[in-house]
Amino acid sequence: MFNRVLLIMLLVSALCCDKAFCNPDIRIAGVNLKALEGDSDPYGDFKVLTIPIKRAGNLILVEAQVDSVAGNFLLDTGAPYLILNATYFRYLPKITEQDAGGINGRTAGTFTAVVHNFSLGFDLHYDRLVADVTDLSGIENSKQVKILGLLGTRLFAKLAITIDLNKNLLYVHKLDSKGEIIPAERVFNTPTVKITFRYMNDVIFIKGTVSDKSMWFAFDTGAETNMIDYHAPKKIIKSLQVINRSKVTGVGGSSYEIIYARFEKLIIGDYPFISNRVLVSNLENIGKAYGYTVDGILGYDFFARGVFTVNFAKKEFEMYIYNQQ
Amino acid sequence: MARLRHLFTLLLLLGCLNATVAQMRNKMVMQHGRLVLILDTRTSKNEIDSMLIAGGVTGQTAEMLLKGDYAAATKNGWNVKAKKNIIELDRSLADVNESQQLTPYLLSSNMYKSNGRPGYPSEVAFGVNSFANRVSVHELPSGLTRFFIPGNTQAKRVLLSGNFNNWSTIKGIMNRTDSGWVADIRLEPGKYAYKFIVNGNWTPDLNNNLLEDDGLGNNNSIYYRYNYTFKLAGYQSAKKISVSGSFNKWLELAMRQKDGVWETSLYLHDGIYLYHFMVNGSWITDPANKMTQMQNKQLSSVLLLGESVTFKLNGYTNAHKVCVAGGFNNWDADMLQLSKTATGWVLSYTISAGNYQYKFIVDGQAIADPANPHQITTDGKTNSFLAVRSNHAFILKGYSSAHTVRLAGDFNNWNEQGYTLEHRGDQWVINMRLKPGKYLYKFLIDGKWILDPGNKIWEQNQYGTGNSVLWIE
Repeated sequence: MFNRVLLIMLLVSALCCDKAFCNPDIRIAGVNLKALEGDSDPYGDFKVLTIPIKRAGNLILVEAQVDSVAGNFLLDTGAPYLILNATYFRYLPKITEQDAGGINGRTAGTFTAVVHNFSLGFDLHYDRLVADVTDLSGIENSKQVKILGLLGTRLFAKLAITIDLNKNLLYVHKLDSKGEIIPAERVFNTPTVKITFRYMNDVIFIKGTVSDKSMWFAFDTGAETNMIDYHAPKKIIKSLQVINRSKVTGVGGSSYEIIYARFEKLIIGDYPFISNRVLVSNLENIGKAYGYTVDGILGYDFFARGVFTVNFAKKEFEMYIYNQQ
Repeated sequence: MARLRHLFTLLLLLGCLNATVAQMRNKMVMQHGRLVLILDTRTSKNEIDSMLIAGGVTGQTAEMLLKGDYAAATKNGWNVKAKKNIIELDRSLADVNESQQLTPYLLSSNMYKSNGRPGYPSEVAFGVNSFANRVSVHELPSGLTRFFIPGNTQAKRVLLSGNFNNWSTIKGIMNRTDSGWVADIRLEPGKYAYKFIVNGNWTPDLNNNLLEDDGLGNNNSIYYRYNYTFKLAGYQSAKKISVSGSFNKWLELAMRQKDGVWETSLYLHDGIYLYHFMVNGSWITDPANKMTQMQNKQLSSVLLLGESVTFKLNGYTNAHKVCVAGGFNNWDADMLQLSKTATGWVLSYTISAGNYQYKFIVDGQAIADPANPHQITTDGKTNSFLAVRSNHAFILKGYSSAHTVRLAGDFNNWNEQGYTLEHRGDQWVINMRLKPGKYLYKFLIDGKWILDPGNKIWEQNQYGTGNSVLWIE
């Protein structure tokens, strides 16, 4: 009952006041309603920013600063927004608790907090960001690198990013009024692959074709391999040449099997990506976390093929491939 | 003639057929919810074995398989079918469905376990710098190390990033000068990898000849912070003098004359080394060093680098022989003898930085050091513990009524009989030497596990009780 009242009041307050004029002190049962609003827009004096990236295995790390704490964040297009590692941020004031395995598939003890003064590199700033604080020790221990959190897509929602893994650079582009990258600031002009994607629940979904079957992939820079759901069409599963099968132990001690396989052709846009490697597993829970079921995930094996740009405003993905086969 | 041509064509066709047969390869596919291994008995045992390993058919070898012994595979849930030259093994893929992972990175991180720490050079015995046109890194009288990158004076920002600052892309801001950019940092002796970041772009030090693959298709520059200088006085008229030793596999390292003394500096890892000088091609020991050792009928000088540790055992004045044995001398029970004093036994010995366990051997009887509060018990055996050049102190305040406080973590396999702490004043303390990286640990107060109350950084463990987290950087 209380939840319903809270929801109604939330709706009423959302309808009644324009965001900019909302009273910052509305509190219900200790929850600051202002805090539940979205993130503030990024700002900084630039047209395009060049930010050095670091790598941990196949993952992309960018240094950022939260208040006075600086360190590595994983650039993770599989995460919807800012996620902070509980090991270092459990002291942040809780705005709301989340159920285990809740909306974003986080583990028990996850809560929502607001951070102020978030800076990516030196020149991109956010005054306030809503973040989940959750246990990221699994990834930190597997990579032996200190990881303060994950940078999800919402941070770049009004921007475009280009990643060049050869030069280890992340470019953050401001967009013109049409949502385009300013032509003079483009990293490449003739993309090898250019496609529009669906952007739902802050997740990038890209359509692709394997064995003449069309599939929906989530584009996830936090995936160290491409993945295909075990429940994908039989024709696809049958076309995979298995490289190996291994039993792994997940966080929490549960054990399961993964199959690592290769297949010849993956078509994205009109471009055939040849000789692909893929991990076959049950992606059901990952799909639940995205809010949409997925047939597969495009990870490192895919995005390491070239320099790529994600324009979140135009919902466009472009890739420039240095060495075309 | 025509017949001959037909015969030739036939032979060619047969050859092609043979080649097709020879191309038969083992393969593994997924069909009807099952993983199927299709093995061709005409392929080599090695090929079949590697396929069995890839498929995770534990305990089953090609040898057994070819003899018709499928017991190991069957026991592990595989169906085996043999027909002609093909043996097919299949098992349900239901386990693949078991994954409950919520995020792709947790699923895929299992594929790529970290292999060392790229960009963090491993320890080496010695190192000598090599610069091209100008020396871009040098030591200042203050003890700081200055890094310099010439030019780029129009750049907005230049940074120095390396393993010494955890490859930070924020912290190592350099200062603009009239001819380039400088950064002064404090470094311990050792080997360092670094790059500059000019306006966001990574670049190696173009004046530094020493480069190492960064594992990502580019190079890191390498700098050695020196800690030792070989010196030889006299020999003013010598044409060429060099030093060689066990640290560099006896290769000659040229020395230069400076103020009447021949010298060369380098980075030398802690350890025990033999060396000699070559003066105009003739071998001499170091006249300034009394310690020598014969090896292969040649006399060499002996260099001990490390920290001098004094081992003392009070009492036991009636004993005939007391030795110390530990990890620092491969537990050799006779090598390091203590000298008798009026009240006991004593020995000073130079040991490299690290953590060591040791014991005294009193007339053949091994005992822990009674004066050392730090002990560890493994497999029922108790040894004393010593950290040389420690870089971290584990401190627990209070708990004054506790009988024993121990430290256990991933660095000692969570041994519940782990390192005992010393009760000093109102706190419990132990010093350790830990390499850079992440450590998980807890204290044991009279056998009861607790998180370190003085460390707010901890992560959850499988028991829901948490582990304290320590990063050595």
